[in-house]
Amino acid sequence: MIKISRNLFFLVLSVFVLLGAFSCGRGAPKKEAAAAGEAGDAFSSEKAVIRHAHGFTIDYYDHYKLVRILDHDGTKTDTLKYLLVQEGTATPSGYPGAQVITIPVKSLVVMSSMHVALADFAGVADRIRGLGNFAYLSSTVVRNNVKAGKVTQIGLDGNINNELVISMHPGILMSMANPDVGFAKFKTMMDAGVPVMPNSEWLETTPLGRAEWVKLMAALVNKEDFVNKKFDSVEKAYDTLAQLGSRAATHPRVIIGMPFKGSWYMPAGESYMAKFLRDAGAGYKWADTKGIGSVALDFEAVAPEALTADYWLNVGQVDSKKEIAGKDPRYASFKPFKTGALYNNTKQTNDIGANDYWESGAVNPQVVLADIIHILHPELLPNHQLVYYKQLQ
Amino acid sequence: MEGTLKKGRIIGLLLLLLLAFLLDISIGSIKIPLGEVFRILFSFHSENSTWQFIVEKIRFPKACTAVLAGFGLSVGGLQMQTLFRNPLADPAVLGVTSGANLGVASIMLAGGGSASLYAIKELGFSGSWLITCAACAGAGGVMLLVLALSSRLNSNVMMLIIGIMIGSITLSVISIWQYLSDPDLVKEYLLWNFGSLGGVTGSQLVILSLVVAAGLIIAFLSSKKLDALLLGENYARSMGLTPKKARIIIICSTSLLAGGITAFCGPIGFVGIAVPHITRSLFNTSSHRILIPACCLVGSVLMLLCDTAAQLPGFQTVLPINIITALIGAPLVIWIILHKNNLRNFG
Repeated sequence: MIKISRNLFFLVLSVFVLLGAFSCGRGAPKKEAAAAGEAGDAFSSEKAVIRHAHGFTIDYYDHYKLVRILDHDGTKTDTLKYLLVQEGTATPSGYPGAQVITIPVKSLVVMSSMHVALADFAGVADRIRGLGNFAYLSSTVVRNNVKAGKVTQIGLDGNINNELVISMHPGILMSMANPDVGFAKFKTMMDAGVPVMPNSEWLETTPLGRAEWVKLMAALVNKEDFVNKKFDSVEKAYDTLAQLGSRAATHPRVIIGMPFKGSWYMPAGESYMAKFLRDAGAGYKWADTKGIGSVALDFEAVAPEALTADYWLNVGQVDSKKEIAGKDPRYASFKPFKTGALYNNTKQTNDIGANDYWESGAVNPQVVLADIIHILHPELLPNHQLVYYKQLQ
Repeated sequence: MEGTLKKGRIIGLLLLLLLAFLLDISIGSIKIPLGEVFRILFSFHSENSTWQFIVEKIRFPKACTAVLAGFGLSVGGLQMQTLFRNPLADPAVLGVTSGANLGVASIMLAGGGSASLYAIKELGFSGSWLITCAACAGAGGVMLLVLALSSRLNSNVMMLIIGIMIGSITLSVISIWQYLSDPDLVKEYLLWNFGSLGGVTGSQLVILSLVVAAGLIIAFLSSKKLDALLLGENYARSMGLTPKKARIIIICSTSLLAGGITAFCGPIGFVGIAVPHITRSLFNTSSHRILIPACCLVGSVLMLLCDTAAQLPGFQTVLPINIITALIGAPLVIWIILHKNNLRNFG
């Protein structure tokens, strides 16, 4: 009896979804479809349009979506395919090698702060059932669930507890792994029917591109409608601020990070951090370097810039000027150290030492940008209160 | 005749050391005119304060550290090769360097939980001192263990095996920590593992010099014992030497040298193996009164040249010193083995 009614429900649902998709294809917004989207279970009427991110694509079909996770490596692009199939509908054929994910995903196993942020942004943080490591957690929803015992710690990418994850039957496991390198280690998990999706948002070259991965999360939980609106306002705010910042009359010179044992890692010119600096109207000496990660520099190569720079941002695992000088007395000779123009992105560090900059900051680039603009050009945003950044004393 | 030849070589090496030191100081990723470098070195003053900072605060301490590391590691290696009468021995065979490794790993990886790091910070240690102290503690701990074991053993070969086993145990403990740690922390630990001469400045440099000086003085004072040991423990005994006592003194010296340098610079491989071989082939002697100072000179020249090579003039990046020493050291040893059959001292 129950089985029949369930089947009937899915039949009605798929007819409804088909109608919705059809009408949407003609460009006529349907109130019913929007309402169903808010309910959060039906196949989304609205599509996610990707404007900034390069790491994934979503194609929409009648009752399923095709997600491609791309790995741009020089000239060749590697692709992982995922079929996001609406619950209760048939899996389409003709996609060999694609992993199948039943949507809406009802339970998530995630690895990084970024994944938590994506879920939080889409309003589905309470669906997180497994997390790589509790030590880096900021989201109150997830922290409460951890306290209530609803979330399991499953270990980080290198050593995930396979048995634990498989026994949880999650709808998806989001990994931090690079799409091609090291993905083979998830074979056991995928063989056991747990879809594994690498989330290579850290390979994006712009803050908005990183944040746009929320749309992938939206596609997984059928919340395109809600997430698109929210992301649009993030994008709009970011663009307005970027115009303000990049038109600034002065370009204060900035150094980033902290050397370790004589090597200084500076964000490379094509990294999202360099983009933040460009949009904030900063003078950044390594803005033209190639690469999306960081450039390994000799302490000596950075010293001339550090000695005369105006600001020193993202100082690292330190909380005061005293600690910086304790790391290496030479750092006290840097101009930003002397003038006190030292800002660290650690204001939102909570009682367990997790820094929300890496979590909510990743999906709220407009707030991070506002912080940096306020630091470098206080006259442009005089009333802004720093959210993620704080001045080190 | 032979004596003057050796004297000549020592003087030659001294000049080479001076040249290598100046070369190391004048080359770097920032171009500074040679004249300006000398002016800064000798008058401590330059019109360009950036250049002054680079030469005075970056290049000079780094070159000094290279010299100290060259002194310590090569003499440590020489002592171990003699003590164990094994051409493959280096300062690391005692497990002391892995002990230093373990100390660092305990701070960086196991202590990775910010809570424990916080607790240690509260004790008053912070920054680079924390890592250095941890490395010293690790090296010291292993050294005490090795000493305790060595006083119970009669044979140096057994000592060698035990040293290697202790090293293996500490490394596997580190591997477990690495396996269980956050990738960021592991990366930092790996960076430490590449070795670096650039992180030692100011008071750290003073302490490193004191430690190396102490180790070298002990080594020099025990050069007669080393000469005797080279001929075998039985021979040494017949010369009125107590092998056990000699062993303890030599282990103390090597531990100070290797542990101290590893604590401040991270592990630096190959210098300890390569330099004694190079020196022996240069001087053709087995007398430690000559070999020890000669090793110091050859070792420091090699370290300075490695450091210069690591800087890749024109590039903004510096290669980790530990990579360069092996890249340069290994072919050198192969060349020596092919050209001079100099391993005969190890019958």
